[in-house]
Amino acid sequence: MSIFHAQQGRKPGQGWSALLFLSPTLLVFSMFVLFPVFFSFYLSFHKWNMFSADTAFVGLENYSRILRNPEFWGVLKNTVVYTLGTIPLNMSLALLVAFFLNKKIAGKKFLRTAFFAPVIMSSVAAAVIWRWVYEPNFGLLNYCLSWFGIPAINWLNDPTAAMFALIVMGVWKTFGVNMVLFSAGLQGIPDHYYEAAEIDGAGRWQKFWSITLPLLSPTTFFILVMSVIGSFQVFDTVYVLTSGGPLGTTKVLVFYLYEHAFKFFEMGYASAVAYVMFVIIFVLTLLQTKYLKGTIHYTA
Amino acid sequence: MAGDFHTKVLIKPGGVFLTILIIAGAGSLISGGCGKKQEEASGKVTLTFWHSCVSSTVPALNELIERFQKENPGIEIRAQYVPTGDALVQKLITAVQSKTSPDVSWIHADFLQDLVEADAIYRMDDLINGPDSLPRAELSDFYPALLRAAQWRGTLYCMPMEATGIGLLCNRELFRNAGLDPDRPPKTWAELRDYAKRLTLDRNGDGKNDQVGFFVPIFPASGPLYAWMVWQWYPFLFQAGGDVINAEQTHVLYNSDAAVQALTLWKNIYNDLDLKTFTIDYEVAFASKQLAMTLDGPWNIPRWNQIKGLDWYIAPLPEGPVKRATIVGGEYLAVFKQTQHVKEAWTFIKWVIRPEIQALWSMKSGYLPVRRAVHTIPEYTAYLENNKPLKAYVDQLDVAQAPSPMDYQGMKITVHIAEAVEKATLGRMDPKTVLDESAEKSDELLRTQVRK
Repeated sequence: MSIFHAQQGRKPGQGWSALLFLSPTLLVFSMFVLFPVFFSFYLSFHKWNMFSADTAFVGLENYSRILRNPEFWGVLKNTVVYTLGTIPLNMSLALLVAFFLNKKIAGKKFLRTAFFAPVIMSSVAAAVIWRWVYEPNFGLLNYCLSWFGIPAINWLNDPTAAMFALIVMGVWKTFGVNMVLFSAGLQGIPDHYYEAAEIDGAGRWQKFWSITLPLLSPTTFFILVMSVIGSFQVFDTVYVLTSGGPLGTTKVLVFYLYEHAFKFFEMGYASAVAYVMFVIIFVLTLLQTKYLKGTIHYTA
Repeated sequence: MAGDFHTKVLIKPGGVFLTILIIAGAGSLISGGCGKKQEEASGKVTLTFWHSCVSSTVPALNELIERFQKENPGIEIRAQYVPTGDALVQKLITAVQSKTSPDVSWIHADFLQDLVEADAIYRMDDLINGPDSLPRAELSDFYPALLRAAQWRGTLYCMPMEATGIGLLCNRELFRNAGLDPDRPPKTWAELRDYAKRLTLDRNGDGKNDQVGFFVPIFPASGPLYAWMVWQWYPFLFQAGGDVINAEQTHVLYNSDAAVQALTLWKNIYNDLDLKTFTIDYEVAFASKQLAMTLDGPWNIPRWNQIKGLDWYIAPLPEGPVKRATIVGGEYLAVFKQTQHVKEAWTFIKWVIRPEIQALWSMKSGYLPVRRAVHTIPEYTAYLENNKPLKAYVDQLDVAQAPSPMDYQGMKITVHIAEAVEKATLGRMDPKTVLDESAEKSDELLRTQVRK
């Protein structure tokens, strides 16, 4: 509503000065966001190696090549595995930590900062550290596991372990954001609901299931949608930790896109991959909105 | 309230979608990064020169450039280091697009298809036959494998600046501990496999090897080291009498019997030593004496020299079932068409390939010379006598071979080979089957994607 009020109240000529003030941002936005969006859409129907001045129109060939390529489906599967692996772990951990940090405990602020720290860390720097944690011969993880007599695992070069290693790092890196969101959500639940429930003799679990979870559902929904988008776009940690290996078991969609764009210089094909990815994420988000909207309870 | 909080932090999902799309589009917007060449007030010509020499050799390069400038007072070289080979080709592409290319660049021969098709570089032949000509006879002094790789579809487009090769790096101490003669490296494939086993030890009996005899370089085919892996496999392919592609470049040959033999050797050693659980940071492993033998290149000589208490040497690669062979690769100089100083660029290239400069560059940097005439320089032969590791690499140049040129789709074919090597070793699949599968993909590519 506030926007409309502002528009009704404006004086003649004000629009232009607004545009003037917005122009630096608009310029940067159009150059680095808007233009690439349309240009890559255009490219997805062309063949272009970035070098040559001319692009050849190929119609839908890039798209049909993607869908016919078994590697693409393998990559999509890897992305889904990563998404299914990270999200439940990420969200339950975030909720658990947020729940306990919402209570009056000592060192609360320190703990919250500590859990949030990985989020603001450069993901490439973090991945380089994790690479050494996972290192089979000299790494910290195998060293710790050896105390319990667990044999060394080549975390990043074993086709059965690499995706798991990526998921663990992914959860570590991103659950802090969700923890903060959940904390905010928890603080937004009015105390009188709990007081009323206590008077009615509700136990701890009952309060959690019947009050906390339902009233947290807008936050949960938001986190779920954002996490699905984020997991589908995972790239930097994959690039540094495994580069899609071993045996292609951790090759995810954006890595596949990167490979075609900047290794093989097939800009058309890579742009088409970007649009296929866009459609997948878009449809997933629509489905979530459609089917989960009904389960969301908003506070009055 | 929760609702208020959301309106503040909620990023429009659309914005997030858009950001991924930039990945594909932004490439064309990345600027070349390098400023336009500036003419000095003194009338000096400034040449911009991009390179990805191994970082340990950069001081030597600076020395080389200083000497060139002293001998050619009218030319100033502005060298710009680009960290890795892959970043360099990406940077060159965007620079050519935005008309900010360097005058001269150090390139890998596998960039040639892209650079030539974009009409970005001069033909070396034009410069060789040009006003400041180079006698044809001088070219015959170069190692032929290097010149062959400098050509694209039979035309010379760049000039080798330095050569590299592969040798067998051995740790004498670990040989001695295993009861082996420390100065007798394995001479055949069978010996390599046998030595590798005998040098692999599980000291504390926990079922995991604490020392590994030989490192079979298996890296992810999708990762940055795939080409390095394939490059190290080629000598074994050559030793068994194989090659990568036929001379007409119509179909690949890397699934021949020779290739199967070479890959089987790697697979056997990989399995014998249970390398699946061993680190892929072989340099760290060798430095910490957990690795007795590994393939290595001359650029690492300074690294090993720096480590105290490491008793190492470079041996020639063992002989294969058909012949002795190793691989030679080069790094090349190309002149960009956007330059205004073709004459000066050519002066620089002609200077770099002079025998005495090649000898100097090799001594300072550890790279191998590109031509035989260096051996007529007494200073260089004396230097080699005192620097056995470099001598071992230089001596091997006589049996060094390069894969047949792949003018088209070379990078993808290399990825196909890498996939087969990774599948046969780490993936425990049958070498013949995976090589056939990959070869079929490569042949399909050659049939459909090659413009003649």
